[in-house]
Amino acid sequence: MISFVNVSKFYDYHTVLRSVSFTVQKGEMVFITGPSGAGKSTLLKLIYRDEEADEGEIRVGNFTVTSIRPSDIPHLRRNIGIVFQDFKLLRNLTAYDNVAIALRIRGIGEREIRQRVSEALKRVNLRHVADSNPKALSGGEQQRIAIARAIVAEPQVILADEPTGNLDPNTAIDIMNLLREINLNGSTIIVATHNRELFRGTGKRVLSIDSNRIIKEEQG
Amino acid sequence: MHISYGIKTAVKGMAHEKWINLLSIMTVASSLLIMIFACLLLYNTEHIASTLHERFGMVAFLDDRLQASEIQAIIERIKQRQEIEGLRYISKEDALKELKERLKEDSYIFDGLDYNPLSPAIELRLKRQYITPQQVASTAKELKAIKGVSEVYSAEKVAEIIEAFYRSLSNFSLILLSALGAGIIFVVYSTVKILFYRRKEEIETIKLLGATRGFIRMPFLVEGGIIGLFGGLLSVGLSLLVYFAVTYRLSSVFPLLETILYPTEIALSFPLSGAILGLLGAFIAVGRLRF
Repeated sequence: MISFVNVSKFYDYHTVLRSVSFTVQKGEMVFITGPSGAGKSTLLKLIYRDEEADEGEIRVGNFTVTSIRPSDIPHLRRNIGIVFQDFKLLRNLTAYDNVAIALRIRGIGEREIRQRVSEALKRVNLRHVADSNPKALSGGEQQRIAIARAIVAEPQVILADEPTGNLDPNTAIDIMNLLREINLNGSTIIVATHNRELFRGTGKRVLSIDSNRIIKEEQG
Repeated sequence: MHISYGIKTAVKGMAHEKWINLLSIMTVASSLLIMIFACLLLYNTEHIASTLHERFGMVAFLDDRLQASEIQAIIERIKQRQEIEGLRYISKEDALKELKERLKEDSYIFDGLDYNPLSPAIELRLKRQYITPQQVASTAKELKAIKGVSEVYSAEKVAEIIEAFYRSLSNFSLILLSALGAGIIFVVYSTVKILFYRRKEEIETIKLLGATRGFIRMPFLVEGGIIGLFGGLLSVGLSLLVYFAVTYRLSSVFPLLETILYPTEIALSFPLSGAILGLLGAFIAVGRLRF
């Protein structure tokens, strides 16, 4: 589903990632861990082409991300659901519209949008806050809305960048349980986190990044 | 799909940022109002000027000795020329009669004459597009070459004035309308640019969700179009108010004002022109989006 072959990324004279190679199979859930500044977020950004790799090849499904045309980037991103640490919800929209925007972007009709958004909100147990503004919701609820937005279009891959970074430990466990449940339904998920508690005992593959490269591969 | 999303988002965005949008609409309306007044001035001036060419005359004097049939042949020949709008034959007798009428009490100067010194003539009216100094000169030369025509009188100076007047009128209108049009584009450009930067974070997010350039641009283009359209409607409304106030209220004091015309084309075309200019301003403001 996702493959990195000798991928390097430099910022000016500073190396962020050097010769990183790994693959993620379809339906797999993988954790990327490492200290702050190790390059976890950059690695995810390279997948959804928010950053451009300087060396190597990245493939996501049928897309070769490293040689993609700018006009195809939106189509690549439509195959990926992203969950951000800071949620990135649109403040002037309701929870419903924040989820619906992922479908509107894809040109889906309003009737289908209503049905799919309702299902997605039900999966994250937040159907009752559909008309609320994100500002009125707790951090955990906001992240659940962001997850609903990431899954509503049923993308092939879900990327979560420190999804529990801004949440208390109990809410963090809830969010991780939710992501695992989504994975059990067949979605490929990559979670970047510095919090080792999140993958301990999960039995999922963990890639540790340090000094700009993958230094260890283990089972959580 | 993108269009309906664009309209909804633009309307929501405009309601959210109502003051800046209102200010922009009013600025666009002011510029369009000046453009409407300029157009009305030009339209009415041209309307008045269109009667100017009727005052332009050309007279072909004929030989005294021509027979009626020869005169008729000359008239027919001149009539067939493409630049002639109309003509009137003035016989020797009619010419003298007209002159006496014009001179009124001074007409006694002809009393001592036992013959008519005036020549028969053909008074010509040229079509408007042929009243240029060059064309008038060449027509005069060609008429003079006709056998039986002794002299041709043409008011070339009048032709020069008419031509210069039209030239400066069209130059002035071109400069004024271009300047104000550019002004409107700039106003909408600035407004949309500000709104675009205010929504930068939102745009970055929807880019990451897979939005295409068209999807991102659409609300801003619609917004620019709406600003222009509303500016246009407002300017037409205001100009009609001023027009009716001037023609109905002030015409009792200045009767000439009653003759001012307000063509329907202006009322219809200005909201549309506003929308197009607004759309153009927004298009430039959004510019190239990078992924």
